[in-house]
Amino acid sequence: MGKDTLTGLSVRHAMRKQLIVLGPNDTIDCCIQYLLKYKVNAILVGENSERALGVVSKTDIMGAWYAGLPLSTPVRMIMNSPPFFCNPDDTLDSALNIMKTNKVYRLYALEENSNAVVGAIAYPDIVGLLYHYCSHCEQGIFNKSKDTVQDRVKRYKVHEIMTKQVESCKEDTLLESVVEILSASRFGAILVSDDQNYPKGVISKTDITLCYRHGQDLSVPAGTIMSTPVALCYEQDHVESAIKSMILKDLHRLFVVPEKHQAVSGVLSLTDAARLRSGSCHACISSRIRVDKN
Amino acid sequence: MKTTAKDVMVTSFKTLSPDSSISEALEIFKASKLDGKTIFGILVTDKDGSIAGMISMYDVLLFLLPKHVKIWGNISDIEIEGIIDRATGKLKNLFVGDIMTPKIISVTPDMHLMMVLDIMIKKHVRRLPVVSNGEAVGMVYISDLFNHLLERV
Repeated sequence: MGKDTLTGLSVRHAMRKQLIVLGPNDTIDCCIQYLLKYKVNAILVGENSERALGVVSKTDIMGAWYAGLPLSTPVRMIMNSPPFFCNPDDTLDSALNIMKTNKVYRLYALEENSNAVVGAIAYPDIVGLLYHYCSHCEQGIFNKSKDTVQDRVKRYKVHEIMTKQVESCKEDTLLESVVEILSASRFGAILVSDDQNYPKGVISKTDITLCYRHGQDLSVPAGTIMSTPVALCYEQDHVESAIKSMILKDLHRLFVVPEKHQAVSGVLSLTDAARLRSGSCHACISSRIRVDKN
Repeated sequence: MKTTAKDVMVTSFKTLSPDSSISEALEIFKASKLDGKTIFGILVTDKDGSIAGMISMYDVLLFLLPKHVKIWGNISDIEIEGIIDRATGKLKNLFVGDIMTPKIISVTPDMHLMMVLDIMIKKHVRRLPVVSNGEAVGMVYISDLFNHLLERV
């Protein structure tokens, strides 16, 4: 190893080729259906894949609800335009840099010749690729036969890359305030905790878009719509086991506790894991020495 | 020879409303199996009888599919308890309208069977609602179409 795991890989390797495109006059209601159905956080808006006009994210949908827009509002009214593009042959590193510089979570790959969007890449897609490399790496935790090498390599622990500022609210916090907090946060979910900061539930942006679609009221308390139980991991867990847990349980994030029955100390998302830009241990970051800080 | 959609459509079929629960849909799927004619998709209609969409077994299964399942091949010991329960549990808060396919193709009662077949093949669908005056009056299933067209062979 001894080199950056992502070296030599292009966007084409990691991008999702299944593209969901909404027309500009499709409704917010339809957009929420597609977000749920395809488990994506944002959808491209365009006349077709050759004329991409904008992007609608779950955050935009929350904003629409907060602003009191009806579900029948066309997505062109709330989309962000234009989308951020990259070239499918760009290196993954440069794509990550575009995302970081522009503070966006996904890029659309635009084929130069045809000007058509041919894929989309978001942070979690990169985690998948990294996981693939780790599972094939002879120094990885998964390769149990090479324990001599394994013992020498320092592996990342959850507390090293988790985000320590956790947005939280109480069970009686009104949904309206939850939407305000989540809109201002880069996080996709808020922790619902008790007075001792013990985890009680989670409300994700997906839960909120669903409430909007179901005609819920913004004045209901957080406790009535939160999901339980909270998916947790420990500070001392290896990053790769946390990632594995997220991938298997179909979760985007795990809240972190120092030990069992303790208050939440951080949160680890697939996005955090992708920001590391490396595999799960120091073996592949040693020559690169570049861990992106949040 | 019967040659149009209305000749092969069934006029007795279950429908759901967009705010029906997913468990209501699952009940219909289960009951159809017991009746001996398994259906794979249920029409969803609004209060006025107009078509809102279709919910198929595929829609439900698509929702159960984990987002990053393509990485599962790299995971050697998939033993985390309750993965399937967790996935199916997510269906509880959902309405049929949340995961149905909203934009669906329909045919008219007088459409020729070969044109119905053409739509089924090109669009990869196995059932098509038959619409007259804005209301769903029947369903054409690919199995009925098959049996009808080939009964003379």
